[in-house]
Amino acid sequence: MVSPDERFAFDFYPLESEQQTRIAPFFEHLRQGRLTTTKCAECGLVLWQPRVVCAHCHGDRMEWIDLPSAGTIYAHTAVLAGAPVGFEKDVPFVVAVVQLDGIDLKVTARIDDARYEELRIGDPVRLKVISLQDGRQWFRFVRAR
Amino acid sequence: MRKVAIVGTGLTKWGVRAATYKELAQEVSKSLFDDVDNLNREEVDTLVVGSALVDRLAFQAYPAPLVAEQMGLEPTRMCLRTEMACVSGQAAMRVAYTAIASGLSDLAVVVGIEKMNLPNLAETQASMACVLDREWDGVNGLNAPPYFALVAQRHMHEYGTTREQMGLVKVKNAEYSASNPYAHYSKRVSLDKVLSSPLIAPPLRLLDCSGITDGAAAVVMTHGEAAKRFTDTPVFIEGLGQATSGSLVSNLKSLTTWYPLKTAAADALKMAGVGIGDMDLAETHDCFTISEIIEYEDLGLCAKGEGGRFIEDGQSKIGGALPINLRGGLLCCGHPLGATGVAQAVEVTQQFKAQVPSERHVGGEWGLCHNLSGSANNHAVMVLHRGG
Repeated sequence: MVSPDERFAFDFYPLESEQQTRIAPFFEHLRQGRLTTTKCAECGLVLWQPRVVCAHCHGDRMEWIDLPSAGTIYAHTAVLAGAPVGFEKDVPFVVAVVQLDGIDLKVTARIDDARYEELRIGDPVRLKVISLQDGRQWFRFVRAR
Repeated sequence: MRKVAIVGTGLTKWGVRAATYKELAQEVSKSLFDDVDNLNREEVDTLVVGSALVDRLAFQAYPAPLVAEQMGLEPTRMCLRTEMACVSGQAAMRVAYTAIASGLSDLAVVVGIEKMNLPNLAETQASMACVLDREWDGVNGLNAPPYFALVAQRHMHEYGTTREQMGLVKVKNAEYSASNPYAHYSKRVSLDKVLSSPLIAPPLRLLDCSGITDGAAAVVMTHGEAAKRFTDTPVFIEGLGQATSGSLVSNLKSLTTWYPLKTAAADALKMAGVGIGDMDLAETHDCFTISEIIEYEDLGLCAKGEGGRFIEDGQSKIGGALPINLRGGLLCCGHPLGATGVAQAVEVTQQFKAQVPSERHVGGEWGLCHNLSGSANNHAVMVLHRGG
């Protein structure tokens, strides 16, 4: 019996190498424990997710900036059923929109160490970097204690 | 610009169907041609197919010519498929409207079809999750139910909306779907049953969610001068609006106010020269119970934050301020993505032509259809007027 994971042609995680994307540094920074994004060198606009061309001025020179690794829960839920292929074994898990501290920027991420009922809007969380089996990097958050 | 009318409708039974994508196309073709007098296949110059995920769910690309063959059509002016996720159906109607209004097409068939049920439902869920930004939102497990759960949590937090108020949306729509033989779910449900159904993505429970449904819907559209050849009661598309803002969930201006809906509704009503208060009935995109509550607010039927009170007071029921989702909505008909927008127009047309059971017949002169997609970042609104 072939598992669903093996039958699935793609997974959800971005391809991160320099051969596949121009934002490869984002993933390299994750490996160093840093959450980063791009800032337009022309107009100074900071956008999430990292980009190669500015949506405001079309400038194509980008600088990498570090984002806060701490934030608070803006909204959260949990996937208790109906998970997509590749995530079935993770059920139940918490998904949240996290408001980063000190900057007008939110990110979507899983919260790894808590159940839905244990969290409230406004609770503090901090960055956690994970390694996938094939060595790719991704980020989640955990409760800040 | 020429006036554009809907002159006939077709529907398949919706549900977990023992039928393929192509078979649904054949069924809806029969239903459509049975409904419309004087409709000759040879005269149909345009076919627009609204299908959101056919590439993945039916493993079929390039569906428009395939659907044309299933329906026995050989379009000579336009043949294409529209993809705008859950708005694919109304998008298909907008394309046909544009073609007919401009004179490019004289007679168009619009069909929305989706085959959603696969042997492995996790595969359907994966395809649905790719409607969001797959690499940055889907990757975190976000999909329709968890996304709308975030919306519901914020609406409860910001405005004090209650679980009971959300549940009442399902109770209302189930009451109307009880007289809809095409609906996936046509049984009445109690509030207790909604509130004790299994949690899917808290605070949302199973009965807060529209189903995973197979189905098709179709309309025939033509220009104003030709309309009377086909029906005594043409239904004119008098206003159209569509607005889109953002994609990534964390970048949305608001989770609880749907600004593109406000824009789309204002544009459609202005084009038609009427106000929301002139509507006799509406079909709104109740993909989840919370969605319909936000739609009351952002359509301007009540003040922001008062959507829960609006359903509690029965204002969206027959006899209230504006009867909404009389076919049972997405919550009870189910939501075959590309078919939904077309089926909403089918319901309003059949209401005007008195082709629906008396239990849910309202009729009237003006109707509004609202279709949304993705992270509620795209909204389409259509204003329909009964002619004849």
